[in-house]
Amino acid sequence: MALDIDRYHEVDSIINRWDPRAKIAALGIFIFSIALMKTIPMAVIAIVMAAILIRLTALPWHFIFHGLSFVMIFLVPFFVIMPLSYPGESAFTVLGLGFAWEGLRLATLIFIKAVSIVLVTYAIFGSSRFDISMLALQHLKCPKVVVQMLLFTYRYTFVFLEEMRRMHTSMQARGFVARTNMQTMTIFGHFVGTLLIRSFERTDRVFKAMLSKGYQGDLHSMVTFKSHGIDYAKATAAIILSLMMVAGDFSGVWSQAVQGWY
Amino acid sequence: MHISEGILTTPVWLAGYAGTAVLAAVTMRKLDMEEVPKISVITSVFFIASLIKVPLGPASIHLILNGLVGVVLGWRAFAAIMLGIILQAIIFGHGGITVIGINSLMLGGGALIAYMVWQLRHRFSFKNREFVFGALAGAIGTISSGIVLATALITTGEAFNVIAATVLAAHVPIMLIEAAVVGASAAFLHKAKPDILAGRRQPGSVQGEN
Repeated sequence: MALDIDRYHEVDSIINRWDPRAKIAALGIFIFSIALMKTIPMAVIAIVMAAILIRLTALPWHFIFHGLSFVMIFLVPFFVIMPLSYPGESAFTVLGLGFAWEGLRLATLIFIKAVSIVLVTYAIFGSSRFDISMLALQHLKCPKVVVQMLLFTYRYTFVFLEEMRRMHTSMQARGFVARTNMQTMTIFGHFVGTLLIRSFERTDRVFKAMLSKGYQGDLHSMVTFKSHGIDYAKATAAIILSLMMVAGDFSGVWSQAVQGWY
Repeated sequence: MHISEGILTTPVWLAGYAGTAVLAAVTMRKLDMEEVPKISVITSVFFIASLIKVPLGPASIHLILNGLVGVVLGWRAFAAIMLGIILQAIIFGHGGITVIGINSLMLGGGALIAYMVWQLRHRFSFKNREFVFGALAGAIGTISSGIVLATALITTGEAFNVIAATVLAAHVPIMLIEAAVVGASAAFLHKAKPDILAGRRQPGSVQGEN
């Protein structure tokens, strides 16, 4: 399970060098513009732009495909369900179910948009260290307490994942096999409970250590942000492209999805 | 369990953000500095416990455990779940950026309802009280989330009615498994470390048993 999204942040690329604040703001606007798309031609333009963007980050393909696989598993069934369950007239019947082209079109639109947004998300957060991205969020007026909790959570996640693996190994060593019965559920319940207690007590110790070192609710960082002309230029380009995409979509040149998208 | 990017219409995901903003503001009022690490711990555990696969006949499902978050954190559960959703969106592209609002509302709302159910235990007194109310909290937390999910799909368009019904039906077995796991967890925590549970009443306090 790839949890460290920032594993390749050290690669040098035009996106990695971008000031994280400008990057998050501009590409965030890009993401929300993609979410507004309701015509397939514009969605295709969006996915092409997202693909170019992810190429610019120089993230390895296997890393990107691994990320996309989660979305794929969820979205591929739509190609079967949507055409067969779309209300209204159907073109022909498959196994007694009406097949509607409009349903297939809607499924395609959903698929393209979802993949584009995931690609842009990877471009944003795969190209900077996680803590720097979070500090950038704080500079963008995201509440301090939320940023801090995100940083703590991200850090703890790796520690507790190790803890969970150790516990799981020891369960297996004692002959545990998961089945669909009450006993397995009870064991899982106790497993989660134990994980909670262990994690909780560990954090309690960490928190006391932090207090004794003078923690008063602020995290101090050595990171400073600097924006140059080129950062603004990149941001302006991304925002102009987003606006052009939205304008093209609303212009009425292309036929829009009839339902489920307005 | 989450709604993926690209499915919902703009008014629906915007409504999700609006609802989440309101609930987050209300449930995070007067947040103490000492609570920050505690909420973060529960968020991490919630996050990685959702990777646990439970066998269900030939298939397997992932635990959701939003009910347990409610049982452990009380009103603060909403913040924990929202953070978990944000991290999932960032790290996995699971869910997605535009659906952070509706996903938080769905799972976090379920956690808040689970906490209300959990609190009802004070009105009763019998031997396995913590197991029974933990199980109820787990079940009701899950099904509430399923209902929010189905509602979001139905309001997006008639085209999603069949998917909404399928999703809701799929929640029934998940609900049973969640009930068993959360019930066992709550009973275990009550025995092993009761102060970790939300909404405890000190014996002999003014509120007392009612």
